[in-house]
Order: sequence, then structure tokens, then C-alpha cells
Amino acid sequence: MGEENKNYVEIWGDNVKLKDLGIAMALCISFALGGYILAPGDAPQPLIIGLIGGVVGFISSSIIIKPKRTISKMDGDE
Amino acid sequence: MDMMIILQMILASIGGAVVYTIIGVAPGTDETAVLAPVTIALALLGLSPYVILAFFISAIVAKKLTDSIPVAVAGIPGGVMAAPMVEHAMVLKAHGMPDVSIKKMSSGSVIGTLIAIPASFLIANLILPYADTISEYAGLIFFFGAVFLALLTKNKILSLAMIVPFALLIQGLRHLYWGLDVIPADETVFVSFFLGITIGPIAFTLFKLLNKENRQNTPRLGNKEIRLKASKKEKGIPNPFKVLTKKESGSAALGSFLGSVTFFLTPVGMSVFLGEFLTRHIKDPVQRASRAISTMDGLTNAAYISGTLIPLIAIGLPLSPTAIGPAAGLFNAPPVFTPEHNIHHMLSIGEIMTATILGASIALFITYFVMIKYAGQISAFVFKLVPHEALIGLFAGLVVMLAFMDAGLINIFGVILIAIVSGLLHKNGVNYGVMFMVLYAAPWLLGLLS
Repeated sequence: MGEENKNYVEIWGDNVKLKDLGIAMALCISFALGGYILAPGDAPQPLIIGLIGGVVGFISSSIIIKPKRTISKMDGDE
Repeated sequence: MDMMIILQMILASIGGAVVYTIIGVAPGTDETAVLAPVTIALALLGLSPYVILAFFISAIVAKKLTDSIPVAVAGIPGGVMAAPMVEHAMVLKAHGMPDVSIKKMSSGSVIGTLIAIPASFLIANLILPYADTISEYAGLIFFFGAVFLALLTKNKILSLAMIVPFALLIQGLRHLYWGLDVIPADETVFVSFFLGITIGPIAFTLFKLLNKENRQNTPRLGNKEIRLKASKKEKGIPNPFKVLTKKESGSAALGSFLGSVTFFLTPVGMSVFLGEFLTRHIKDPVQRASRAISTMDGLTNAAYISGTLIPLIAIGLPLSPTAIGPAAGLFNAPPVFTPEHNIHHMLSIGEIMTATILGASIALFITYFVMIKYAGQISAFVFKLVPHEALIGLFAGLVVMLAFMDAGLINIFGVILIAIVSGLLHKNGVNYGVMFMVLYAAPWLLGLLS
């Protein structure tokens, strides 16, 4: 956080950093499309590899990118 | 039905329940965007229709159970459908009762599911004699559906005015692909156009941000503040009918039944309208809020389930907002499912019932108990570990891949075009439903005009 604060925009109900979104989209699109195009064999194999690629992209971007949420715990909010 | 299929149905239902419990908690996820591409992909993989149906029902029950949880835990809706409940959940939160919110909402969901399944089979059987007539006039019905939904939206004139031009865009692209020999003349691009409409609002926002001036004028935000309330540990297994008072169970059941009967109308609209209507007379704010959230949650669940099941059992054409949205893959995922050959035609009523009951029970069992016990922990896990960027990225990846699969490289740009136009229309008050209906009605409509 710190100096990077106030740098996010709201898309689809949550806050994102555009640069991180670009990275996530690039990763997911290249893994999914790449998997589909490079997969050997006939249908539905390219689709399976492509879907796996998408999930790999999702997991790697989840590791690289930190969620833009500050979570505070409140005990007994009475 | 042999053992292998039953085993696959159970595994698919467990998978659906686990994945959509997590997606349901993620803030702001749109039901159509998160459910339709996955269901369509599973259909295209050639899985058995039993397995796809069980997966879908389990996923939607789990998603609808959990998307109201972040409302109670953090005051933000987990899905579009949970938005109307925020106001009432805030009343309970202000009275220091977030735990009550979670329990009332999930119990309402359970009642909605339990009412909607038998109600759907009943209503579907009543419609069944007219199914052939309805299918015969499908093009006309989709067109009137578009007009009808257009009249319900905020921006009626724009919605009506865009029906023919939007149909022209869709058929125009199809004819372009046929003309360029990108796809054979007997194939129709559907899936990727559908997803193009779905990602419209996101795509439009992103393309707007490519403009430097827009980028500078966009409000800059810090981290999203999420306050988690520590919820009390539950002992034993909660009984949804004991969580709710008799009156709450009653209005949740009534709301769910009415939600099933009005399956062809927009679930968000019905949820707001009936939810307020059935609770308006209650004076005490806490009682009113608690009745409202259990009723609305039951109603949205019921509307989703019956919106899927009734058209699926009776007609085989997607004739409800749920069926043209999240459940689209069960009706149309060419070349595997087409309007003439889909789950409706492949399975008997008994078989549809079996897959539905199996999927719903597994989701209720896993998600209801897990959510009631660990709502706080699961929400914290999702909020901490799943970045919103990765979710949007994943859907972008799926859409681009499916666009390429439908009609090659050129179609990636075709889908971007459809997404930008739909996003612009959506921003100006044209409902998704209108655009989906136009997508179905386009061939008929332009056949009529040319």
C-alpha cells in the first residue's frame, strides 16, 4: 500500500490497478489461447488444454498480484 | 443410467459447489459472466448431458447461497442478484446482528431451492401441451421478448430503437464470416457473440480507459475497505426451518413460489418488487429487514432455478432471463447443443429431475452447512487471496479462446466489436436481456426485413 494508494479504478464492483489488470489479462489470454493453438490432437483436446491454460493464468496472476482490499477484523460489532 | 454416469454427476456437483462457493463470495461477480462460459465449455467438451445439468444446478444453488454472504459479512454484494438485499442487511448490521443476516439469508436460499424444484416441474407440466406451438413461433417470441424486456428497462426508447440495428450487427458479422469463408455456410457463430454481450460492460470500461483524457478523469480509489465481523462459532448442524420464524419461512416460501411462477420475468426486478411488497406492512425495522432478506433470497434462488428448469423441461428454448443468461449453455452450445437438439430433447423429465435433485442436494449439503459454520473464514480467504484482476483476466482469457474457437482470429475482433457496442448500450440503460433476446431473434428478424 503506502504511496501506491489512490491509484486504482473500480471495474465490475471491485477496485483494480490497471497495470496489474493488464498483466493478469495478458497472462490469462496467452495461456488460454496459446494452450488452445499449440495443443496437439483433435477436438476437444485443444479446448481442454486451453481451459487448463486459463486456470494456470488465473493461478499465476493470483500469486503475482495482490488484491486491492484492506481487511480489518472487528470483534463484537455490537 | 449406469454407475459411471452417477459417479460423474456426483463429482461434477461437488466440483460445481466448491468452485462457485468461492466465486459467489468474490465481490461483484456477474452470474452470467461466471456461469455461462464454464457451462458452455463443459458442453463443448462433450460431457454427458446428465453431468452438465447436475453441475449447473449445483453451481447455481451454491452461487446463490453464497453471493449474499459478503452482503452480511462486509456490506458488499457478491453478485448482481444480491444487490437489492444490501439495504436490508445494513439495517441488521446497524443493530449488531450480522450473524443473523447470514443465517436468515442462507436459510431463505434453502427454502427457495426446496420450493422451486417441485414448483418448476409442476409449472413445466402445465406448459408442456403448448410447447410445440411455442417452439414454432420461437423467432417471433424472442422478438416480442426483446420488446417486452425493453419496455421494462430504464431507457425504453433507446432499448426499442436498438433492437433492429443490434440484430443487424450480429447477422452482419455472421454473413461477413460466411462470405470470407471463415466458417462453413451451415455453421452459426453463437457462443462467442453471447459472451461478447456478457463482457460488454467490462470491455467498454476498459476501452474507455485507453483514452488518456478519460483515464485522468476517472476517480482514483485506494484499497477497498472491507470490515469483517467475527462471527460466533456454530455448534451442531443448523436447521433452516428453526433459523427462520414461522412467518419468515412462510413469506420466503410464498415469495419463492411467486418467483417460480414469474420465471419469465427479470429476477432482480421481481426480487425488489415482491420482496418489498411482501414486507411493506411490517413496522419494526429489524423484523422487516430480517423478513425481507429471507424472502428476497428465497425468491432469487427460486427465480433462477425455475427460470432454468421450466423452459428446459417444457420447451427446449431459452425463454426466461436465466435461460438466456447463465443457463444459456444448456440450450445452445453449438455444435453440441442447438435449439433443436439440447438437454430438453436428450433427457426425459424423470432424468432431468434426477440430475437436478442430485445437483441441488449436493450443493445444499456442502454449501449451506459450510457457509453457516465458516462464512467469516471463507470470506476472509477469498478477500485476501483472490485478486479481482485475476478473475477479470480469467474471463478475458476464456472469451478470447472461445472466440478463436468459433471463427478464428478475425472473430476475436468481431467479439470486441460486439462487446463495445453492448457495453455502450448497457451503460445507457439497455438491459442484458434485451440484447440476448435480439441475439436469438436476429436471423428471424432480418429474414423478415430483407
